[in-house]
Amino acid sequence: MPRPALPVALTILAAAAGGYGLEPASRAQAQMLATRPRARVGAPAPAWRNASWLNTDHPLTLPELEGRVVLLNFWVFTCWNCTNTVPSLVDFDRKYRDQGLTLIGIHTPEFPPWAGEHDKANVEWALRKYGIEYPNAQDNDSKTWELYGIRYWPSFVLIDRRGNIRYEGYGEFHLNDGTYRTWDGRIQELLAE
Amino acid sequence: MGARLRKTAVAVFAAGVLASCASPAGTPALLRLRTAPAGPDTRLTLLAAPGLEINARLAPALELPNGTIVRFVTGRRTADSAYFAEPPSARLPGRHDRVRGTLRASVCRQDELVCHSVALRL
Repeated sequence: MPRPALPVALTILAAAAGGYGLEPASRAQAQMLATRPRARVGAPAPAWRNASWLNTDHPLTLPELEGRVVLLNFWVFTCWNCTNTVPSLVDFDRKYRDQGLTLIGIHTPEFPPWAGEHDKANVEWALRKYGIEYPNAQDNDSKTWELYGIRYWPSFVLIDRRGNIRYEGYGEFHLNDGTYRTWDGRIQELLAE
Repeated sequence: MGARLRKTAVAVFAAGVLASCASPAGTPALLRLRTAPAGPDTRLTLLAAPGLEINARLAPALELPNGTIVRFVTGRRTADSAYFAEPPSARLPGRHDRVRGTLRASVCRQDELVCHSVALRL
């Protein structure tokens, strides 16, 4: 499940950027990508403050979820890798919600508002299309994305009942494949604690 | 600031996830923007490095300094319509030796099954 190649590649690229004569903007971006602080496994999960939510009657907060296992899924409906993973997440939600799992989609756009990813109606349409019934937060300013140091769509953060980050990962997976089973086992492990 | 894009020339830029996709000249590049004359206009074509696919659900776009959005929507797509099966292109009115603006693209690595957003000021 761990896929270290991508972050390592990022670091290498950032280090090499100056030597390759990139334009200043791209050099700065490469450095930003490599040095952005990341939420640490084992550390308390940072408190998100998203105001716009779907599939819930109020904005969810980390303190109110204490005692529950929380799986954050950073996604956007324009990302094929993200939507291909949704059936697995829907399955987790159905299997484990009553046992103490809260699955939360953090919908983080890739492009500026003109692309339509920021529109709540479009997100609502996507939730209906993919049968998503778990809460979703609109992360239109990418603050939660940055708070957790996320780099890729889709990404996942699993938080234990005490509010600590226990597992992180990224990349598409499918019902009952190896990665699905890995996440399923992690969820069961934290639910059993 | 600005990459100098000449007619039929290829401008190479990088900003992201891949160190192994070096160009023949040794420059790591996620994407390349090629410009070519197209009648009275300029054809812009976006080429992805090996192992990368360009997200067609969120078509690449060039934001011009005047606010106009030029979308790269021309190009055959994969059967699932998720990615461009050939380099997407766009038509920029008029002839341009240099292109200015912000180029945005969502590129996806098929080995890692993730997408990454690239934004670059030209």
